[in-house]
Parts: sequence; structure tokens; C-alpha cells
Amino acid sequence: MDRNNLIKWLKEPKKMGNKYSLWAVYFSTACGVIEVPPVLTSRWDAERFGVIPVATPRQANLFLITGYVTTKTLKAIIRTYEQMAEPKYTIGFGSCPINGGMYWDSYNTIKHLDKFIPVDGWIAGCMPRPEAIFIGVTKLWGMIDKGLATGYIRYREHYDYYRGNQERLFGSMEWPPLYSLKEGTHDE
Amino acid sequence: MKFAEFIVSPILAFIIGVFLMGLSRRIMARIHRRYGPPLMQPVIDMIKLFSQKTISHGPIFDAGVILSLAGTIVLVLFIPFGGMCPLRTSGGLLVILYIMLFAPLGLALSGGEGANPNISIGISRKFILSLGYEVPFILIMLSVMTYYHTISAVDVVKAQSAFHWAIFSVPLFLPGLAYILIIPAMLGIRPFDLASAPQEISSGPMAEYGGKYLALAEIEHAFAIFITIGLFVDMFLGGSSNVFYFFLKVLVVFVIGLLINAVFPRFRTEQAVKFLWKWPSVMALAGLIIVLAI
Amino acid sequence: MNDMVDLLKSIFKGTDARTLGENRLSVTTPGESVLAVLDYLKASGFYQLKSISCVDWIDDNEFELVYHVASLERPLHIMVKTRIDRDKPVFPTAMSIFKNAGIFEREMHELFGVMFEGNPDLNPLFLDNWKDIPPFRKDFDMRKYVKDTYDSIPSFEEYKWQKEN
Repeated sequence: MDRNNLIKWLKEPKKMGNKYSLWAVYFSTACGVIEVPPVLTSRWDAERFGVIPVATPRQANLFLITGYVTTKTLKAIIRTYEQMAEPKYTIGFGSCPINGGMYWDSYNTIKHLDKFIPVDGWIAGCMPRPEAIFIGVTKLWGMIDKGLATGYIRYREHYDYYRGNQERLFGSMEWPPLYSLKEGTHDE
Repeated sequence: MKFAEFIVSPILAFIIGVFLMGLSRRIMARIHRRYGPPLMQPVIDMIKLFSQKTISHGPIFDAGVILSLAGTIVLVLFIPFGGMCPLRTSGGLLVILYIMLFAPLGLALSGGEGANPNISIGISRKFILSLGYEVPFILIMLSVMTYYHTISAVDVVKAQSAFHWAIFSVPLFLPGLAYILIIPAMLGIRPFDLASAPQEISSGPMAEYGGKYLALAEIEHAFAIFITIGLFVDMFLGGSSNVFYFFLKVLVVFVIGLLINAVFPRFRTEQAVKFLWKWPSVMALAGLIIVLAI
Repeated sequence: MNDMVDLLKSIFKGTDARTLGENRLSVTTPGESVLAVLDYLKASGFYQLKSISCVDWIDDNEFELVYHVASLERPLHIMVKTRIDRDKPVFPTAMSIFKNAGIFEREMHELFGVMFEGNPDLNPLFLDNWKDIPPFRKDFDMRKYVKDTYDSIPSFEEYKWQKEN
């Protein structure tokens, strides 16, 4: 952990700030959320790494998707994700968002979350232990450091793909597109 | 020298406020038997928040936050500490009373533009709460001003020199105690955090703030911590002409308050107002009557 | 328990009641007397409707509606069963007797397509943008639906590959 490395702070304050101040949105999708309270409270204490829960997506920059995602939950997830301030990072937590997990052939559970919103990293397991969240966060630090956690840029640049998939699943969507749908155009 | 004070005193106030914010998170963590974040965590958060891309909801949304922050910074200029008080000749404690309303007003203005129902609930709670603590606050101010026959904060500090601290004098002991009781309500922290309750109304007035707006709100909170406790130190603990001693006094009051407040759950709105109008108000009123009788 | 069996058999014609192990009672009755049975049970102290479930007997071409009724005073769980036509699954609502039947009927309408006449709110509860036949029917092909709906959406890598070629 290079949190006390002053030279690095002076060199790239933006990156370091994003690394050590991950505010997780307090939005619980499914069963995996039972692992999150111990992480945030006394037993494992995520606050020492700067990870705290916040109540609204506007303040958050880390989105933990904890467990299976039904079509109705996916709507809420997309709305939450689009409200978060950039740069934002997403972690899929548990096997269900990765490939469906035990809901592999369920009629109402989407199987691959990364077809609808960009996901920066996965934590596999059913359910992963709270320590796995720390490993995931540490890996995310490394990705931010190397500039690999670019899910939000991917979402902006390939918005036609993501929006197309969302519309294909929902039929019609009651909120307007976040970015311009023309290919290759994005405001920086 | 006089102009330097205008710059130095807000900067010092900001540093003290941010330090206290970091310390409060650390002490809270230790009370919860956690390790806690580093002391610099508020600074890290602010750097991150300023680097984020933010969404505005309109000109009033921006102006409200800035008004709230500006009101708080102006307030710092009225607080005498470490021999500095840039606006010592203009109004003193009476003006402090007025300008203290700027911060909730600014938040209310920008919250109205946010159009989130949680904001409206939070704002109404905030104003009800400020209605609750303004009554004892005015009574405390009145008793202090009557006792020292002045409205100037600098003169109040001067009258308490050589350890004639107001909190140890008989007439002002009860108002001092009342002030300690209303400090958490003025800061909107633990037992009185009903305006920004994250679990109930998703942080209330802050619900639509993100990125730079939230950073400004955090800075405002840092200043507010300094002002609320600094005012107590000035009025009841004799202030100080040395920045370090002033800081020590602020630190002691803050930590004592934190130890008490960290273990209390949140009041409901009507419970908070009932408490504030009962104990601190009665204490302050009794103090005022004693002051007037002497 | 046996008194209940005899009573139900004697009052309602065409009703078959039998005990299922300890404290459980199964009542099979024709469709037109279901509401009367429920009304009678409620009047005799079984005022708790626990659930309404549905079984798809695809070989008989029938749906079986099961009303689970219980009492907090007697340790007895009664299942009132009836069969309805699978091609035209219409049944009167039980909301006049048990008010909480509304939400169970809404769920059964969504998952089996049983139409409950007289229920004011039969909007979908869980499903979103559903175009296929109700998912809990036996002739619903889950694998095929999942393949068509979720697996047919290209992954990001496929999309990129298609774009480049």
C-alpha cells in the first residue's frame, strides 16, 4: 500500500485520491449483501482502507453488485450506475453476476451482467468470504494504478452496444440515453 | 498585518477543522473497536471529490452551496483566536447569530433545485432542528453579553483573561453547560444527525450532491466544527492569544463531546426539539435570570 | 380432526376429505363449492389464508388450485383443492372471504396464467416485459427461453469482433 508515498501523491493526486477513497453505494441486490455489513463494521473494518458506505449513488464511486440480478433489479442497477459520478468502478460479487451461477437457466435472472453495464472486476464464489472483498479492492487499486479500470470509459465509448442490449431486454426504457447514441462520439 | 489576518485565520481554521474531522473518524473507529482510517482521510476524500466529474442541477444549485460555504467562511472572520480577529469592530456576537443561519439557508436553496423528495424532508428537518437549537443559543448569547456588558467577542475574551473563565463563574456555568449540550445539534452530528440520516432519507440535503459539491459541503462542515467549538472556547474558556493553546482547548472540548456522542443513537425530530427546548433552554434561561439578578 | 372430515363430507356434496398424517387435512371439492367451503371454514375458526398455490397437471389438461387455510386456535392445516380446465383457466376470486387472497391470486395469474374474476389488480408482480407463456406452466421451455432472451445477446468481445470484421 502506497498511501503514505508523498511523491506519488504529488505526481498523480487524482489517481491516488480515487484509489484510497472508494465510496461504495449502499445498494443491495441480492443474498451477497449479507457479507457486506461485516466488512464495513467492526469485524473487518473496511474504513481503514477508505471504503465507506454512502447512501446515494451521486456520492459513490464503487458499485458492488452482490448476487443474482433479475430483470427488475437490473433496471435499478443501470439507473444507479448512470447516476454515479465519474470515475466509477464496478465489482461483480459472487458467481451469479458472472455467468448466472445457480440461476443459470432461470427465466427471470440475467446471466452475464457485463453485457448490460461494464464491470471492472469479479469476485468469484458463492458466497465469497469478506476477505475476498479486500482482495478484490486491492486488485482494483492495482488496476486503477495501471489505468486498467476503465469501465466507465468503455460505457461512454460503446454506449450504443450497452444501450442496445438494455433496450433489447426491456423492450422500452422510460429514461433517456445518458450519452449520445452515435458511434464513436463522446464528450471528454 | 491586518490584511494577513483575513487570509491566515480561515486557513488555520480549515486546517484545525479538517484535523478534527479526521480525528473524529479515528476516535469513532476506536470506540467501535476498529482500527479506523488514517488522519488524512478527509483530505484524501476531498482530493477525490474535487477530481470527479459532477452534475449540476441548475444555477441556484451551484449558488446555494457557495452561499453556504461563503457564509461559514465569513463567520470565521468574526471568531477571535490566537490574537486574530479580522472583523473585530463590526458587530461581534450579534452578527455571528445572524450569519449562522446562512449555512442551512444555502443548503435549502440548492436543495430546492435538486428536486429529490429526500432533500425536502432533510431540509425541513434541518430547519426544525435549527429552530430547536436557536432558542437556547440566543439565550446563551444574551446571558454572556449581559454579563460582560458588551457585544464584542474580543472584549468577552479580554474580560476572561488570567483564568477568570466564564464557565467557572457562578452565573455563566449553566449557560456554558447548555452550550455543550447543543453543540452536536449545531454540527448535525450523532444524536442530532436527523437532517442527514443516511439510513432513513439517504443523507437528506446531500442526496443530490456529488463530486465538487460534496467537497464544498465537507469543507463547510470542517469550518462549522471550528466555529461552533471555537465560539464556545471564546465565550466560556477564555479563548487564547496563542493559536496552539486555542487549538488545545478546542481539541479537549471536541474529544469530550465526541466520547459522549459516539454512543448515542439518533433522536427523532420531535424528540430532538423536545430535548433542546427542555434542558438546554431551561439551563440557559436560568443562567440569564441569574445574570440579570446580579 | 375426524369430526372435521365427517362434517365437510356431509355438508358439501361431492366433497372428499381425508387426513394426511398428523394435523393435516386435504379437502377435494368441485369448483363451484370452493368458496362455500372456504366461507364455512372461516366461520368455524380457520380465519388464516396462508397461501394459494397451483399445480399444473398437464396430462389431465387441468390446473389444480390449492388454498392453504389454517387456524391459530386449532393445530390443523387444511388444504382445499379443486381442479379447473387448463384451456380456459378462469376462477372466481376469494377476496370477499379472505382479503389477502388478492396478492396470491396476482402471483398465480402471473406465473400460471389463471384468470381470477373479480380481482381488481392482476398486474405482473415479478416479471418484466414478458412475452412468452406463463413461466411455471409445464409446457414452458425454460432452456429455450433463456437461450433466446439472455444468451442471444452478444458479449462485449463478440460485439467488438463483429465491429472489426
